[in-house]
Amino acid sequence: MSRRIFSVAAALLMFAGGGAVAQVPYQRIVQAGNAPQDWLTYSGNYNSQRYSALSQINRNNVSQLRPAWMYQLKRPGVFETTPVVADGVMYITEPPSTVAALDVKTGRPLWRWTPQIPDNVIVIGSPPVNRGVAILDDMVFAGSIAGHLTALDAKSGVVRWDVTVDDNRKGYYLTLAPLALDGKVVVGVSGAEAGIRGFIAAYDAKTGNQVWRTYTIPGPGEPGRESWGKDSANIGGSSSWLTGSYDPALNTLYWMTGNPGPDYDGDVRPGDNLYSCSVLALDPNTGRIKWHFQFTPHDVHDWDSNQIPVLFDDTINGKPRKLLAVANRNAFYYVIDRETGEFVTGQAYAKQTWAAGLDAKGRPILKAGNEPTIDGKEVWPNLQGSANWYSPSYSPQTKLFYQFTREMSSIYYKGQAQYTAGLAYTAGGGTAVDGDTAYAAIRALDGTSGKLRWEFKLFEPGMDGVMSTAGGLVFGGTEEGNFFALDAMNGKPLWDMQLGGPIHANPMSFGVDGKQYVAIPAGWTLYVFALP
Amino acid sequence: MRRLFSVNVAAAAVLSLVTGTAAAQTFTPPGDGKRLFDGLCQDCHGANGVGDEAPALNHALAADDAALRKIIRDGIPERGMPRVRRMTEPEVEVLAAYVRSLGAGRPETVAGNGDKGHALYQRLDCASCHVVDGAGGTFGPELSKIGQRRSPAWLRQALTDPGRLKSKGVQGILQNGFSEYLPVSVVEKNGSEVRGFRVNEDSFTIQLRDAQGKLYSFRKSDVTNVDKQPGRSMMPSYKDRLSAGDTDDLVAYLYSLGRAK
Repeated sequence: MSRRIFSVAAALLMFAGGGAVAQVPYQRIVQAGNAPQDWLTYSGNYNSQRYSALSQINRNNVSQLRPAWMYQLKRPGVFETTPVVADGVMYITEPPSTVAALDVKTGRPLWRWTPQIPDNVIVIGSPPVNRGVAILDDMVFAGSIAGHLTALDAKSGVVRWDVTVDDNRKGYYLTLAPLALDGKVVVGVSGAEAGIRGFIAAYDAKTGNQVWRTYTIPGPGEPGRESWGKDSANIGGSSSWLTGSYDPALNTLYWMTGNPGPDYDGDVRPGDNLYSCSVLALDPNTGRIKWHFQFTPHDVHDWDSNQIPVLFDDTINGKPRKLLAVANRNAFYYVIDRETGEFVTGQAYAKQTWAAGLDAKGRPILKAGNEPTIDGKEVWPNLQGSANWYSPSYSPQTKLFYQFTREMSSIYYKGQAQYTAGLAYTAGGGTAVDGDTAYAAIRALDGTSGKLRWEFKLFEPGMDGVMSTAGGLVFGGTEEGNFFALDAMNGKPLWDMQLGGPIHANPMSFGVDGKQYVAIPAGWTLYVFALP
Repeated sequence: MRRLFSVNVAAAAVLSLVTGTAAAQTFTPPGDGKRLFDGLCQDCHGANGVGDEAPALNHALAADDAALRKIIRDGIPERGMPRVRRMTEPEVEVLAAYVRSLGAGRPETVAGNGDKGHALYQRLDCASCHVVDGAGGTFGPELSKIGQRRSPAWLRQALTDPGRLKSKGVQGILQNGFSEYLPVSVVEKNGSEVRGFRVNEDSFTIQLRDAQGKLYSFRKSDVTNVDKQPGRSMMPSYKDRLSAGDTDDLVAYLYSLGRAK
């Protein structure tokens, strides 16, 4: 298996090294699944399965996994990057908004680029992080906490163009890895805790000109605007701060949206608050919304739906279906028909106390009395959710959906908020009910039904993504710094190592010179592992 | 939001009559300081700020008003105090005013005699497990400044029912709300049992220290059982070994530690 994979890889490498004009043309990203030595998008390829077809490291030999090289940050910060690897070069981002290119064989830096970030940069709602780059043709693309999108020459790190996505003084900033499509780069924005109006935007990859911008809150007169009472829509948040997925065959882009604002006081924004806490299916040429599905109407617990929408196909009741699955921050797992937006199935995959279930259309059936109060109200899941930005994985081998699941509550408080541009607009908050009462688990859910197949319990709820591989493995990390591999079939632990710092990142895998590697940031260090 | 705060308008009106200030100009009525405190702070700092899991607030802790507002606004993450939620400036102002009013009070008065308590501390050999001013054993927590951190009620419970204390990680290496000094029993595959308190733990390993001070490190997959025992304490209860008066004296001594005489 692995030999066959690497012969394809070698051919591609030779092709790429043979003076081809564009390093990573669009068609190569479309075919990324066939060239697993590369890792060409944030989640590996457009379907966001975070599945590596490499199998050299497998359940029989993973116990011998060893560090191959490490790379350390030059300044401390929360290190959430997923590396992109193409043609022997690894592109990473460092907090808050630096881009670096590393030699994949040694970890030695080839170039580093740091944008100018004003001292008074406004980052409200998350740590000042960056989750990675996009690559297309000869350029890599990165967002910054100053609200910019920048195109860099992939060989030198020289700036080709730089645009302001939106005004940081109003609270807009970027933490996500952009998604490169055919001739376009797509980004979303952070800032719902500062009263922004969220949007998704596409830029011409060659020039940086904006091709389209689609607001995640409808404008006056547009359908859905009526779901924002009391004239609250223009500062309603609904940010778009995590990378979406793309189906080239359907030519549809899938992008998730965050919480409405202010987060914890829904009284000032009566209604469903479309399109917050939703997935949008977009025409990538125009930005037109083909359909939407809202997971948490009128959210008051900061349960952004900024999770990874995972695309896969399967047969349900004898019918082949094109599906989109999400393990949502609100503790429910959803399967949606990605052609039509129709709800297929859904059920809780973690403890939750706010809904009696989902109705036939996937809308939550609310239990009364779970809104935040001035004195505090305990609700499961936690403010950071059962899931968050960190990635799940879907293995086409096992047809299981793997999710780092946080089992934890919060006490939710309602406060007051007055909107002032560039200041927090949250109207409350929450405290974690943590310690020995909380825990986490890697859960393996049947992809099409969401039923639990196995779980592997972990000590502490963290922010740790998973990756499955053709070697029959699931890699994951812990808040305490363990990096580990489980048997993808049954969750049995096969290997682990303490890396000395919390893991707040997603594993990825790549190959070079016939050898498979697995990479994970932990603490302030990027670790790369291989067999001896 | 308007509905929530309307219940306090009456209280604010009364207060503005008494003080003669124009409370209506503030977004948050001043009477909400206590309400905010009861919702956000008392779980850790105790009712009226007498101290519990977190330090007592009935003596001045922050250097000045600006420092107090900063602590309320941002928390002290490195010492385990979270920012419970973001607050508007008017909310911070009324909460700071309420906390200042607590600090203007006096430390709690205790019934016992601290000198007698000190003698008891020596007679009971508490120093075999606890350090005060550099001297003593290190199996239990240091007590040099325990009077700053804990209320008399908390100290009394530590003597009479130590298993039920809320002692969550703000000082230990584990932090993040984990129980400190959690008793753990580990049964090894050869059947032998190790009992001690948890020093650290991750998803795959656990570190214990036993009563003799010996450190153990186990991979969880290498042992038969790891039994964590919340609700129990490594410290014996003195409930049946101390008279009520003796307990008062010992509480008085402990409460004096780290406090200005």
